[in-house]
Amino acid sequence: MTTHTLELKNLTKKIKSKTIVDDLSFSVREGEIFGLLGPNGAGKTTTIRMIVGLISITDGDVFINGTNVRENYEKAMEQVGAIVENPQLYDFMSGYKNLMQYARIMPGVTKERIDEVIKLVDLEYAIHDKVKTYSLGMRQRLGVAQALLHKPNVLILDEPTNGLDPQGIYDLRNYLRLLANNGTSVIVSSHMLAEMQMMCDRVAIIQHGKLVRIDEITNQEDEADVKVHFQIEGDVHQAKKVLSDMNPELDVSESGNELIVQVSDLKSIAELNKQLVLAGVLVVGIQRKTKTLEERFLEMTKKGGDLNEVAVPVNE
Amino acid sequence: MKWLSLLTNEWIKIFSRVRTWIFIALPILIIIGVAVYDKVATDADVNENWKQELIQTTEDDKKALAEAKKNEDDAFYIEMLESNIKQNEYAIENDISPYEKTTWKFMKEMAPISSLIGLFVIVVASDIVSSEFSKGTIKMLLIRPYSRWKILLSKFLATLGFAFVMWLVVIATTWLVGGLAYGFGGIDQTYLVVNGTEEVRERTVVEYVFANIGVEFIELTALVALSFMISTLFMSNSVAIGVAMFTMFAGNTIVMLLATKDWIIYTLFANMDLSTLIDGQNQLIKDLTLPFSISMLAIYTAVMLAITFTVFQKRDVKA
Repeated sequence: MTTHTLELKNLTKKIKSKTIVDDLSFSVREGEIFGLLGPNGAGKTTTIRMIVGLISITDGDVFINGTNVRENYEKAMEQVGAIVENPQLYDFMSGYKNLMQYARIMPGVTKERIDEVIKLVDLEYAIHDKVKTYSLGMRQRLGVAQALLHKPNVLILDEPTNGLDPQGIYDLRNYLRLLANNGTSVIVSSHMLAEMQMMCDRVAIIQHGKLVRIDEITNQEDEADVKVHFQIEGDVHQAKKVLSDMNPELDVSESGNELIVQVSDLKSIAELNKQLVLAGVLVVGIQRKTKTLEERFLEMTKKGGDLNEVAVPVNE
Repeated sequence: MKWLSLLTNEWIKIFSRVRTWIFIALPILIIIGVAVYDKVATDADVNENWKQELIQTTEDDKKALAEAKKNEDDAFYIEMLESNIKQNEYAIENDISPYEKTTWKFMKEMAPISSLIGLFVIVVASDIVSSEFSKGTIKMLLIRPYSRWKILLSKFLATLGFAFVMWLVVIATTWLVGGLAYGFGGIDQTYLVVNGTEEVRERTVVEYVFANIGVEFIELTALVALSFMISTLFMSNSVAIGVAMFTMFAGNTIVMLLATKDWIIYTLFANMDLSTLIDGQNQLIKDLTLPFSISMLAIYTAVMLAITFTVFQKRDVKA
């Protein structure tokens, strides 16, 4: 049985008559990196703010390690580390003193732990400088450091790659993976698709405050989503007819000089190729393609026909 | 007790700011400056011949009084002259020099410096909540495993602690500087009090000094509660500083203008200057007494704190 560290049940936020987050439910498993993906204004940050208690919950519940945030906030938050939007720190104090602020009030943070975390985010060289001298990337890393101090088992990072350089992003991704492997649930939000695809195990796509779908990134090779592209030299339309006539129930479509067929096993692909070649069609290339998260995301949030039914105008 | 760490944190934040040290240094410099100036500028002869000078002043006052009565001048002015004359005549008769200086007298004279402390306390109290909102650091603080009221209480107590420490530092400095300049004796020294038509009374200076120290703690508490409430409601330290300073300084003017109204004694600013009630001199509103004003301040403070905590508990943080 999988343990869920974070559970959202019908979470709703209304401000006046406007619904910002609409009946959102999902569960995050122990040891996974869970992404919240959505365009700006989709309600990602509002959701995170409700989880950590910065804003009130209109309806629904949030459970962290089985404790309801609305009922026992203090207990629920003990195992949570978070950055909400940019990590804002005390400019007039050094990085170390900033960390001490949080180390002092969280249970079980030793001096060794503080040094360990500083080393981890690679800030040893500047930790005693005032934070006002820090670059955005350094602030971001210090923000990550404060979120990790007390070894939370639920780590919530809102746009964590903001301001990090490629090396920093790479390091963060590796470190988050390490944490996840040790059983920490990491929740990251972003509007950057490629980033999420590389970082997360599962991604929840959110639009207009509603959950559109949850994708398993590891199951990218999901049979249903794999399509075969035949590159055709010559009359594509005729080639399509060849396939359709011979396999009436096959899903075939044209796109430029390509025929896209919804089929995944290698045997069928070879069979289709044979049919085309025998019919005199010039096949110059065959490629198996899976939809990227990006394609899916754009399809869902913009063009997806059945999704427009649930969509409400974006105006935030 | 992890909760006490919240208090430690706030305390560290206050003392990590350069301005805090300036706020502490400034009154100390002023106290030293006043003592040095007084030592250099005061003519020792005047102190020796205080009786002749006082007789002269009394005669001048009497002339002025006669004039004022003839012209039917302001009753307040006439009253002031009458009490001055009474006070000076009593002093001459009983050989109590108004110029005799000891550290206690110095402390009494320096008492108005509490306004400056009040000003600095307003700045710190207004800032401690609102600057966390404007800088966004409040988010990092509120996502800790502590209820919001605990976080707010730690901020309130830290500010109050800062205000009290600052006041105690100023008192200690005044006593020390005054003692070095004028000697530490004079614990039984008296000064004269005249209240309108009453007889002249002698009171010890020490009594006044200690009463003043005590009431200042009460005033500071009310002032912190006020700044706290406004900075929490408006999340803006400039609004909080403005309103609190207005209550503190413009309050007197408003009270003077509305002194005849019955309800004025129930307003906050009429009760904000407790030190005038210690001996009743220079009191603007005759109906006020020390116990009444202290009770009023207690009620106001309780109400303001209740509002502050209620609002803070429910607020959606979007910083």
